[in-house]
Amino acid sequence: MKLRGLWQLAWSEFKLNLRNPAMVFWSITFPALWMSLFGAIASEPIPGFEYEGLNLANFLLPGGIGLVIVASAFIGTPINLTTYREAGVLKRLRVTPLRTSTLAFGFTLSQFIFMVLGILVLFIIGKIFFNVQVLGSWAALIGMIVFGMITFLALGSAIGSVVGSWRTAAVVTQIFFIPMLFLSDLFMPISMFPDWLQPICKALPLTPLNIFLRDIVYGVPLEGLWQLGIMAGWLVLGSIVTLRFFKWE
Amino acid sequence: MTTAPYKGFNMSVIVKCEHLTKSYGDLIAVNDVSFRVEEGEIFGLVGPNGAGKTTLIEMIEGLRTPDSGLIKALGLDPTKQGDELKERIGVLLQTTSIQPDIKVKEALRLFASFYQRAPDNAEELLHTLSLEDKADSRFKKLSGGLKQRVAIALALVNDPEILFLDELTTGLDPQARRNMWDLVETMRTQGKTIFLTTHYMEEAEKLCDRVGIIDYGKIIALDTPRNLVNNLSAESKVTFNIEDKDVATSKFELVGAVSRVEKVEDGIILYTRDGNVTLQELVRLADKQKFRLSNLRTESPSLDDVFLTLTGREMRE
Repeated sequence: MKLRGLWQLAWSEFKLNLRNPAMVFWSITFPALWMSLFGAIASEPIPGFEYEGLNLANFLLPGGIGLVIVASAFIGTPINLTTYREAGVLKRLRVTPLRTSTLAFGFTLSQFIFMVLGILVLFIIGKIFFNVQVLGSWAALIGMIVFGMITFLALGSAIGSVVGSWRTAAVVTQIFFIPMLFLSDLFMPISMFPDWLQPICKALPLTPLNIFLRDIVYGVPLEGLWQLGIMAGWLVLGSIVTLRFFKWE
Repeated sequence: MTTAPYKGFNMSVIVKCEHLTKSYGDLIAVNDVSFRVEEGEIFGLVGPNGAGKTTLIEMIEGLRTPDSGLIKALGLDPTKQGDELKERIGVLLQTTSIQPDIKVKEALRLFASFYQRAPDNAEELLHTLSLEDKADSRFKKLSGGLKQRVAIALALVNDPEILFLDELTTGLDPQARRNMWDLVETMRTQGKTIFLTTHYMEEAEKLCDRVGIIDYGKIIALDTPRNLVNNLSAESKVTFNIEDKDVATSKFELVGAVSRVEKVEDGIILYTRDGNVTLQELVRLADKQKFRLSNLRTESPSLDDVFLTLTGREMRE
């Protein structure tokens, strides 16, 4: 593997994502705005809130992290992949000595960097304006974030592999993205929804990610760790679909 | 198919294809094709769309795997030693596109980073391809001709030993096409081996040292453009109008070297085995018999006629 090629590819794809207004809006601006606007409604610790000393922004922070990950993986990966395939970019890269594994790793790495940027923006704004805190373990938080990134990148590339054109990709990602905003316990508790909908909510990959991120931020003991298996299931599914359906042209 | 020995160069074989075959379902895209490309020459594959040019060139580049047959490029097998081969070749795909939002300079730096030993030649390439003022432009903002120049610059970042140019000028306006031709001439002087495909006979005739004509997956002729035309023993045409409409066309049948006379709406066409003789005698005849010739012009056979003769069809896009 050529490290220089790998790094140049990852960095250049990262910069290209920064030039894509939809990417910047959905995975950096939107989560930060969401946390700040709702956070500003109650910037003081909420009286009677079950986690003492935490304000609304702090409550929203874990969801914001989830949003960054989902938006970046679901918008960036499928749309870049389909655009590049349609325009012949993938084919052009294939006649360079770059290995397929390097190429895949480079694209993944670029999304990682982008997500890290989005999460850092959340933390910085959260720290400066709302004094958000992480009460649990940072190692667990980082581990959970990375697991989430990998899971959603696998799902994003699965969509990009199955779907032919970027127009279809844009529609398909919306179909997954928008319901997840509402159904994954980001701000509406799952218990609000009718009984028949609740199992669906719980089976969505963002739900366990969001719940565990929140528990870690609140510093409460993690329960129901089997739910990580839901994420792992999505990760495996995404990887199999990608490997099975990925096309260069 | 027999390959005429090529006498223009006496160098080593740089690409060798033997009995190459590739099918897609029922369609035989490339059918038992054999040929060689010598070091330093400009070799062209010419043929109509769908003749198999792209399939053939992409098999040599290692993008497609042949069903059967042998390929050696730079002594390497593209299927098994693709990585090593890709280090040493430059490729212009039929439709090249790179990341729409990437800037020209960034693209050159990015692609150079993929090679083990890429010379630091970005500035030089920008200069050679007259892209200096576009260095900071995004790829998607460039015109077709400029995009094609960027694509060529990218094919040159590793200072390749062979340059593959698939459909170099398709879709370009005449000015951009002429610029591309000049570029190829420049690269010729740098001693690069160039393997190109085109469906413009004129382009093949102008650029290539040797041309392989490909139709329905088979190479049906391969030689220098001049030999291809000469071997055709096709006739030249002398076309003109006469201002005195009463001159009988039959008298032109006796003009030297003429084999056939045809009267068309806007003049008379003499088919001739020797354009020079016919021209001289025609002028002398007009002088003697006091009629005036106008719009006099001659047409020599071209590669288009070679294709027509070999296939019985006109070559169209």
